[in-house]
Amino acid sequence: MTGRDQESLLAEGLARQGNVAPAVEACYSSLARNDADPLVHALLADLFLSGDFYDEAIAAASRAIELDPDCAPAYLALGLAYDRRGGMWDQSILVWHELAEVVPDLVTAHVQLGEAFSAAAFDEEAIDAWRTALTLDPTEPRAMYNLAVAALKREGMATALPGFRKAGELDPSQDDFFFALAGVYDDGTPAPDPADVPPDRDSRLAAALALAFEEDFFSAGDLIRLILSEDPDDAEALALAGYLYLKQEAVNEAMAVALRVLAVSTKTPTAVYVLGASFAKRPGLNRNAARVFGALAKAVPNNPIPHVLLAESLLGLQRFGSAKAAYLRAVELDPTCVRARFGLAAVLLTEGEHALAGHEIRRAAYHDTRRQGLFWRLYDTYAEGGS
Amino acid sequence: MTANDAPARLYDAFVSQNPADAIAVIQRVKASGVAQAHLFDQLFAPAMSLLGGAWARGEIDEYGFTQAAVVAEQITSFVTPPTTAQDTGITVLVGTMHHDLHSIDKDIAAAALKEAGHRVIDLGTDVRPSEFLERAEETGARILIVFAQTMSTARSVLRVREMFSAGGRDDVVLFVAGGPFVADVSLARAVGANGIARGAESALKLVARVAAKSGGAS
Repeated sequence: MTGRDQESLLAEGLARQGNVAPAVEACYSSLARNDADPLVHALLADLFLSGDFYDEAIAAASRAIELDPDCAPAYLALGLAYDRRGGMWDQSILVWHELAEVVPDLVTAHVQLGEAFSAAAFDEEAIDAWRTALTLDPTEPRAMYNLAVAALKREGMATALPGFRKAGELDPSQDDFFFALAGVYDDGTPAPDPADVPPDRDSRLAAALALAFEEDFFSAGDLIRLILSEDPDDAEALALAGYLYLKQEAVNEAMAVALRVLAVSTKTPTAVYVLGASFAKRPGLNRNAARVFGALAKAVPNNPIPHVLLAESLLGLQRFGSAKAAYLRAVELDPTCVRARFGLAAVLLTEGEHALAGHEIRRAAYHDTRRQGLFWRLYDTYAEGGS
Repeated sequence: MTANDAPARLYDAFVSQNPADAIAVIQRVKASGVAQAHLFDQLFAPAMSLLGGAWARGEIDEYGFTQAAVVAEQITSFVTPPTTAQDTGITVLVGTMHHDLHSIDKDIAAAALKEAGHRVIDLGTDVRPSEFLERAEETGARILIVFAQTMSTARSVLRVREMFSAGGRDDVVLFVAGGPFVADVSLARAVGANGIARGAESALKLVARVAAKSGGAS
């Protein structure tokens, strides 16, 4: 990679700050001096995409690829632009294929390739692409959501629902929701060493939550046991214990602990969540799960996740209209909620609304790549001289 | 054993790691008149709450808790509501019209109807009108859902109604499904349909309505 000019660095900085219009202007200034920098064309494509100027994004990304066929960020912008513009599935398939070849271990390229195949009605090829994605990363939620949608199309909701729930568990939004209920947010501070935690209830609980956030379940469990040895009815400590069991797939233990909490206090939202999540893991308990998540959605109305969890339980009860309302509420609260958009797509498919379902999946794809910061990852790698 | 102490007895069975005792408790509660659909809420959940409390107080250790949870797992199927609905005895024929290969809407609706306990006979795609009639004669089905996703195949559903009329089967309730019928309700009337299934939930409601009117199995 040759040295970057000042204008292109300015454009990059502005784009990273979300100042789209000045960034576009800086890109054009840079291109006026040197029209042969693929990185600037790729950046311009992404900027156009963020403003929904699909044809312009396609032109800029295509120019970047002409200049350098290994320009991975340009493939990403081009593929997303084709997908969102619609009606260009053949080109879209080619682009995602290319990206998967340029960056073979890029899981999202395979997921996107599958979505492009699916939109073009190549269902078997789509499933193969999503399976490849899961081979590369078994915790990739979007591939799992797509496989669930594929199962819905073939075998109906009863087969698809466990897939949606599994994908939801892989999706970080569900754990984030539990910690948001507990008042824990990622501020970058590492969890304390358990040996250094002051011997009082609040310090222990805070440390246990921080350790659980970092997935050190055993240390968190030890601190919870210390709290419970002084007060066995500590609702928040019990709820966290339930969460720890849930994360270790010990569903009955989680359910037992959550039920105990609710016998002590009905106003512990973390326990309500654990109970609902335990019920959701048991076939036949959709009615119970819907009751619990319905209560949680009322208690925490401004977070999309309880609405999504409620919607999934309603899908299990075949109450698709009510599920749709809950998903729409979740999307209204957070338009970037990938899980809600895939769920909404599933409901729309049950109503025969295939075009709208495809739209929701494309929006989910866009927000998912944004959430991952995928463009910038590819951009930075490319700028450093790799593809 | 009274209904009130049943959860405590189930809890004892969990802690003593005795699935046979647990099942005996469940059977006695069922025999006392508690419906299967209520066993989870009235028996299992309170017993699990007792188990959670015992663990919280340290009355049972981690190992005992896990073993009790294993017993709870073993008997879960005895207390959870059935995963599929009871057989309604209603037979529903579904299929996509001749010259139409769209299957997704049909498959989703058929799966939903099966899940609701109906006896679904899926004739697949590209189904000739005569085949609908033949299978209705064979099975005694009185509800038929014909899917069509193009204008030409949607219009040709009229041939299905004509076939049934010619065969003396005007008693069959014909529902249609697919984009053309949703977009143009008059098209459904024109082909002699009794209603439009606007998706899986709509199909469930329509079939339930017919079943309620006819008073049971067909």
